[in-house]
Amino acid sequence: MTMLHLGNALKSPRRAFDAVASHPPSGMRVFFGTGLWLALCPPLFAFVGTTLFGWRLGVDPMFLPVETALAISAAYFVLLIFGLLSSAFVAHWMAATYGADTSYAHSLALMTLVAVPLAVGSIVHLYPNAFFNVIVLVPTLIWSMYLLYRGLPIVLKTDPGRGMLMASALIAYLLVSWVTLLGITAVLWSLGLGPRIAT
Amino acid sequence: MSNVVHPAYEDRVVTAFVGVAVIWAIVGMAAGVYVAAELVWPQLSFSQPWLSFGRLRTVHTNAVVFGFAVCALIGTSFYSVQRTSHVRLFAPKLAWTLFYGWQVLMVLGAISLLKGWTGGKEYAELEWPFDIAITVLWLAYGVVFFGTIARRKMAPIYISNWFYGALIIVIAMLHVVNNLAVPATLGKSYSLYAGAQDAVVQWWYGHNAVGFLLTGGFLGMLYYFLPKQAEQPIWSYRLSIVAFWAFVYSYIWAGPHHLHYNAIPEWVQSLGVVMSLVLLAPSWATMINGVMTVSNAWRKLRTDPALKFIVLALAFYGLATFEGPMMSIRSVNVMSHFTEWTIGHVHSGALGWNALITFGTFYFLVPRLAGRPLASTALANAHFWLALAGTMLYIVSMWAAGLSQSLLWLTLDELGEVQYSFVDVVRSTQPYYLVRLLGGLLFLAGAVLMAVNLRRTFAGTVTVTVHPPDAVPAPAAPASAPDRVPDAASPA
Repeated sequence: MTMLHLGNALKSPRRAFDAVASHPPSGMRVFFGTGLWLALCPPLFAFVGTTLFGWRLGVDPMFLPVETALAISAAYFVLLIFGLLSSAFVAHWMAATYGADTSYAHSLALMTLVAVPLAVGSIVHLYPNAFFNVIVLVPTLIWSMYLLYRGLPIVLKTDPGRGMLMASALIAYLLVSWVTLLGITAVLWSLGLGPRIAT
Repeated sequence: MSNVVHPAYEDRVVTAFVGVAVIWAIVGMAAGVYVAAELVWPQLSFSQPWLSFGRLRTVHTNAVVFGFAVCALIGTSFYSVQRTSHVRLFAPKLAWTLFYGWQVLMVLGAISLLKGWTGGKEYAELEWPFDIAITVLWLAYGVVFFGTIARRKMAPIYISNWFYGALIIVIAMLHVVNNLAVPATLGKSYSLYAGAQDAVVQWWYGHNAVGFLLTGGFLGMLYYFLPKQAEQPIWSYRLSIVAFWAFVYSYIWAGPHHLHYNAIPEWVQSLGVVMSLVLLAPSWATMINGVMTVSNAWRKLRTDPALKFIVLALAFYGLATFEGPMMSIRSVNVMSHFTEWTIGHVHSGALGWNALITFGTFYFLVPRLAGRPLASTALANAHFWLALAGTMLYIVSMWAAGLSQSLLWLTLDELGEVQYSFVDVVRSTQPYYLVRLLGGLLFLAGAVLMAVNLRRTFAGTVTVTVHPPDAVPAPAAPASAPDRVPDAASPA
């Protein structure tokens, strides 16, 4: 998977999916060549934005100590890597049920392509106004969901109908992962890793 | 084979309940959209008490829960219990009395809420005269449902009937116990319980109303209509039974998680947390059962718009039943409680699970009641995307609003005082309310499309007459496939 494929994921998803399906890359190459770097974008942008502009929640900006911002960004990075690898694993695990390609490398390549809009969209973390981030990232999320529904039958070589069902099952997993991220955030903040709050 | 003609199924009452459920959906959702708009533009109350947020919100919740959801559950349970029992509905006149009585109750109840009559308990706001009427009508529901089961021509009682039966029994118990009160006037009564006990009883009721009505009842709907739509047997009938008993046992304990950091014993709170976490197992067992059942029905997706709703409903069911136990953990609850996150959680279940599974069921059921195909597949597909977009906008905006609120409320200044005023926090939440309003409007627009589509499907026709098959007592389960119930898997 090259940078060209990543560009295609944004402007011509069909070509990106066809390329991955016809020339399957190795799992290591997908992860170390692309996935790792994509997962680095959101925490990096968030760290820069937090230290430069502070969190903006509709009141005065909240500035965090650099060490705290670094710790939050590191935790964010670890969770994103876990999210990418685990969602690829879940796709790989489900594949046999839906008559799809069961190779882990294919699943990882699919989830990496699906994550491209979110990684690019995370540039809005540079200005951490919460509402601005929601307004930009919700359509981005919908675009990523579209890529999952569109790309799954192509990359994992299954019937579009079965692909739709498998993508919906993956959406369930991703929704749960998303809300888990919220829960972990709340627990970490309660335990003291994050902004200073009274709990 | 004998030539005995069995009395036809009583499906006209099913059609009536489905029809009013659609009307209540639109009324309730429109009230929800209006109160959502009031949070953005408070002047929309026009200084009228009956239009104020506090009164109109209870109309919204009562109309969607007791109007839309209950009418949908009664209608679908009457349809499925006849077909899984191979017998006409017991006491059809009583069923019609229930239908008319429930509608009168709902209309008068809504007026009383607008007038300001309230018991002050969430999801149990209706005052004592209505509570007595609900009890009587609910008993009538039980008589019709269990009377039909008692006269069944099939030996096994299919799993959907266990869930519908649990709904009827447990809601009766919760409703009576929670609403015990001393009437002072026609429009005001005072709870029999005091202080913390009242709170514990209320959330024992409140959480299990969600559990046995909005979860258990709709699982009954799922277990009958999903195999019918998918034309596949339940993936594991045995798992469905295990999940039922685990669900019934564990749900009833979980209520105290609504009262964390309150004046109730800490061990009661901890018990609520533990049982909430245990609850994840039966909830997800059912989700997996549903997902695996539908996984073999992919060919139907091309032609059947209803199945898409069910597939998505299962995804949101998985989300909501994971999020709930997670939010019951104290260190999460300290941030989520009293914030919009809770509202987002409720609506991921109410919109994503309850409404979508009902819409999918109605798109399957109404063409069969009318004896003709759905008027417009394109409209149903448009409804699907409106519902998905509306739900996503709603819950994502409420997640973000909730986390922002909790962070601001919990931030202290150098002196240890709360740093941000309540008004600061309300102001910071307002943009999210606008996004939520948009989500609600999209969802309501989808429901209106469904109403038009179903009306066109039914226009100029009457409910089709269907006779029970010439039934013979069946064995508990065929020896060749002990994990399946073939009858429930084949179309009616």
